[in-house]
Amino acid sequence: MEFITGILSGFKLLIAMDKEIIEIVLLSLFVSLSATVISAIIATPLGILIGIKSFKLKGIVVRVIYTMMSLPPVIVGLVVYMLLSRKGPLGGFSLLFTPPAMIIAQVCLITPIITGLVYNGTKEKGAEIKRVAKALGANPTQTLFLLIKELRINIFTAIISGYGRAISEVGAVMIVGGNIKGQTRVMTTAITMLRSMGDYQTGIAMGIVLLTISFIITSILYHYQQGE
Amino acid sequence: MEIKIKSLVKKYHQKEALNIPGLTIRRGSLLGIIGPNGAGKSTLARLIAGVDPISSGAITYDNEPMNPSLQQQLTIVFQKPYMFRSSVFNNIAYPLKLRKESKESIVSKVNKIIEELEIQDICEQNAWTLSGGEAQKVALARGLIFKPRLLILDEPTANIDPASIVVMEKMIRKANQENTTTIIVTHNLQQAKRLCSDILFMNKGEAIELDEADNLIKSPQNPLTKQFVEGELVY
Repeated sequence: MEFITGILSGFKLLIAMDKEIIEIVLLSLFVSLSATVISAIIATPLGILIGIKSFKLKGIVVRVIYTMMSLPPVIVGLVVYMLLSRKGPLGGFSLLFTPPAMIIAQVCLITPIITGLVYNGTKEKGAEIKRVAKALGANPTQTLFLLIKELRINIFTAIISGYGRAISEVGAVMIVGGNIKGQTRVMTTAITMLRSMGDYQTGIAMGIVLLTISFIITSILYHYQQGE
Repeated sequence: MEIKIKSLVKKYHQKEALNIPGLTIRRGSLLGIIGPNGAGKSTLARLIAGVDPISSGAITYDNEPMNPSLQQQLTIVFQKPYMFRSSVFNNIAYPLKLRKESKESIVSKVNKIIEELEIQDICEQNAWTLSGGEAQKVALARGLIFKPRLLILDEPTANIDPASIVVMEKMIRKANQENTTTIIVTHNLQQAKRLCSDILFMNKGEAIELDEADNLIKSPQNPLTKQFVEGELVY
């Protein structure tokens, strides 16, 4: 019964546009979308370059990326915490327990995921696209743009996967953000806290929002893929 | 464009796939490269086109080594051409967009070549959905659209119906008459005979014999060429 009541109350809170929930949702979106954009900018060209270039130690680089794709968020959180803590190398920036610290942690977490997935897409078709581009007279920049354009579905899927990981992870943002109300509280850290407090209704409301956002994004991806 | 090849070697995983001590392709010629499977015809075509790296040796184009400016003046049409995820029109227009031509010029040139190749009905179609033969026609149009000084065709009419072959050969001949040095890799000796001014016979990664088409077909000097021309050396 508590489960049903929790779901119903969760919907009520959402319909009522509870201010705290809206703030948490907006911060979650801000942190995860920022991390996704930064990671995509780094990881997309990186994945393509690794996919089309031959170089020494390529096998090791790829294996390291694959390993980092399954990096535990708490480990990332711990490393970023140590870097940003007052005595750490980046302590002078006073970023710990702020949204930028959470963005940094998520960037570390999802950049290998996007890189690995883009690399996978590129290694299949990348060499062929590069060869055609060269044959038609494209310079290296034009070739890179063509690769991005031709591999857009792979890249889009990789970015969405990275975003999915960012929005749903809790370990890293909890460690570097601290779940401070009104400042660094995001959906996943709030759900964890609410569960320990026994407030299932708000937790479920957050869960519904998380699932709804995932559904919307998956629907966009599905629609885009069908169109292609 | 005159092409000179000197001590050209191509290796794949330390295994030699091609070794040509010296070869000259005449400016303005229409050279057919013939030979059995595994002769190194496509490898040579890709090396001349500059799309695959050379292991050792040199290729010069009007006495110049390959450079970015030269790379823009030549092209290769692959046997299984990659079509961009866009319309046929956009695929053909791509080389002109790279060369920053005006929109009006692009539309006019693309429409003209589409008409010449008789592919008006597939003009707006997504190039990814084309059949193998249609894709080869579009790839030929994409290669010819910017009037390259050197055009290399790797089995351009494989899997194409006879009527389309006539249209494509007409286009290839026309491009060659407009001063495009042309190299065509083909299995089809009859096609080489119809189209080419010169023929190069290759076998096991070596350039066995290069001569004017009539001479090579009527009186080949090398026994291997003779065997091939007479249809004995198929594999």
